[in-house]
Amino acid sequence: MSVIEIVLLAIVTFIFAIDQFSLTEIAYRPMVACPIIGLILGDVKTGLVIGGTYELMMIGNMPVGGAQPPNAVLGSVVAMIFAVKAKMDINAALGACMIFATFGQYVVTFTFTIMSGLMARADKAAEEANPKGITQVNLISCLILGTLFAVIAIIAYVGGTAMSEPLQQLSKNASWFMGGLSVAGGMMRFVGFAILLKIMLANDMWGYLLAGFVAALVIGNVKALSSATLLLVAFIGVAIALNDFRVTGLNKKVEEGGFSDGI
Amino acid sequence: MESNKELKYVDTNPAPRVSKSTLTKMIWRSTMLQASFNYERMQSGGWLWAMLPGLEEIHTNKEDLATSMTHNMDFINTHPFLVTFVMGIVLSMEQLKTDVQTIRTVRISVAAPLGGIGDALFWYTLVPITAGLTANMAIKGSFLGPVLYFVILFVAEMALRYGLMYWAYNLGMKAVSMITEYAQEFTHAASVLGVFVVGALISNYGAGTKLGISIPNGKAPIVIQNYLDMILPCILPLGLTLWMFYLIKKKGWTPVKCIGLILVIGIVGAIFGIWAGSYTPLVPVPWKVVA
Repeated sequence: MSVIEIVLLAIVTFIFAIDQFSLTEIAYRPMVACPIIGLILGDVKTGLVIGGTYELMMIGNMPVGGAQPPNAVLGSVVAMIFAVKAKMDINAALGACMIFATFGQYVVTFTFTIMSGLMARADKAAEEANPKGITQVNLISCLILGTLFAVIAIIAYVGGTAMSEPLQQLSKNASWFMGGLSVAGGMMRFVGFAILLKIMLANDMWGYLLAGFVAALVIGNVKALSSATLLLVAFIGVAIALNDFRVTGLNKKVEEGGFSDGI
Repeated sequence: MESNKELKYVDTNPAPRVSKSTLTKMIWRSTMLQASFNYERMQSGGWLWAMLPGLEEIHTNKEDLATSMTHNMDFINTHPFLVTFVMGIVLSMEQLKTDVQTIRTVRISVAAPLGGIGDALFWYTLVPITAGLTANMAIKGSFLGPVLYFVILFVAEMALRYGLMYWAYNLGMKAVSMITEYAQEFTHAASVLGVFVVGALISNYGAGTKLGISIPNGKAPIVIQNYLDMILPCILPLGLTLWMFYLIKKKGWTPVKCIGLILVIGIVGAIFGIWAGSYTPLVPVPWKVVA
């Protein structure tokens, strides 16, 4: 166990935690992250092998559409610690890291939930035309996410494989809380939608809201189309909007008497 | 977000074209789109931060900057690598001082559909192919694997960000100046599209909100959600959105208060095993919780 290793590991984990959603969004992938962690732990070769293997495992398990797969950052960090420090073989290390990866997923859910509270602060900064306030909100958020991940990496480094059992226990006992949090997280976007509706929804537009709701339901339930749902719905929406534009534009012309001489 | 008052720009004279260095700054800032990602507003904090260099150059008086920043805090979710396309369009509208309402509706209507395109392009196509090409190099112990992997993907990502920003900005300038004659009608049409897209978002993003109660009944357990789906699929996402809309618009609730309410609903529901998910309820209940 070395202090330098712990510090470096905490720093790269901090960066990868942010990178998984911002920055390059590529450096955190096991393929790149594992060799870098291997460099820190003094075994690059294992880093390359785990990185390549883990990356191939992740094909088909991509972070698309807001779904949170087991967290690749903590998965990579912990798999490397187990393989290099606990001398586990590659596959065993990749298997054993999954409980940490699941925990990483919890941390992400937790951060995304509490960050909703910071939006009020961002709104205030916006109303005061204060760009620094916006920078702060983003920094605070990165700091929270990075720090939580770095702490778990340190726990994994110090506690080693002995941490797996207590974590498993904790994740079982707290499952109702994490379950509730992720349900709430899934529902918070409705507040965002409600704010949008407050701005856009004039009384003559309720039908369009329901029509859009139905269009996405129908297209989303056709397997061949579901991944392009919103694009397809937007195409329909454009047609409706163009028609609306034409009709209201015509009304304007009629009001101005633009047609009277021609007809 | 206490703005029941209609947001309008005081200075409606078009601003000069945003400088190249500002556009470059915005492109690099766009990498932090998800810096303050959260479930309520998703990418809005990072979005505003990325837009700020342009907005500060365009809106030289403080009041208009405040107006612009306020409406740029709206809910937004788009693909992180394609976001500069939306940024370019919105920037051109800001520069020509287009009606705030129009900017808001165009922004959400352009942003939302890009998510699916970006995922298909990047996560389903480019990343798996690149990984397939380079993973075996890494497994055989070559540094070339990760280096190639990073370079290919990062160059593709940044090229997209650059190209889309300029393309969209110029496109927007052309389109926006064309529609000024029918500004009011265009705003109405854009709002129609915006509301239509939000309706789609409710069922597309909201489908995860389900009941998880499954009452044991021999071989055919009674799953309550199935009955709800028979009445109206996605009835919970629709109902919750309209409820939040009612609380915010009619009762004057702040978004933070709504979030608090939702947190309570989520966690209390999980204590009694009402919501769908893979968890064990705190209180023993006579039904099973299914995802």
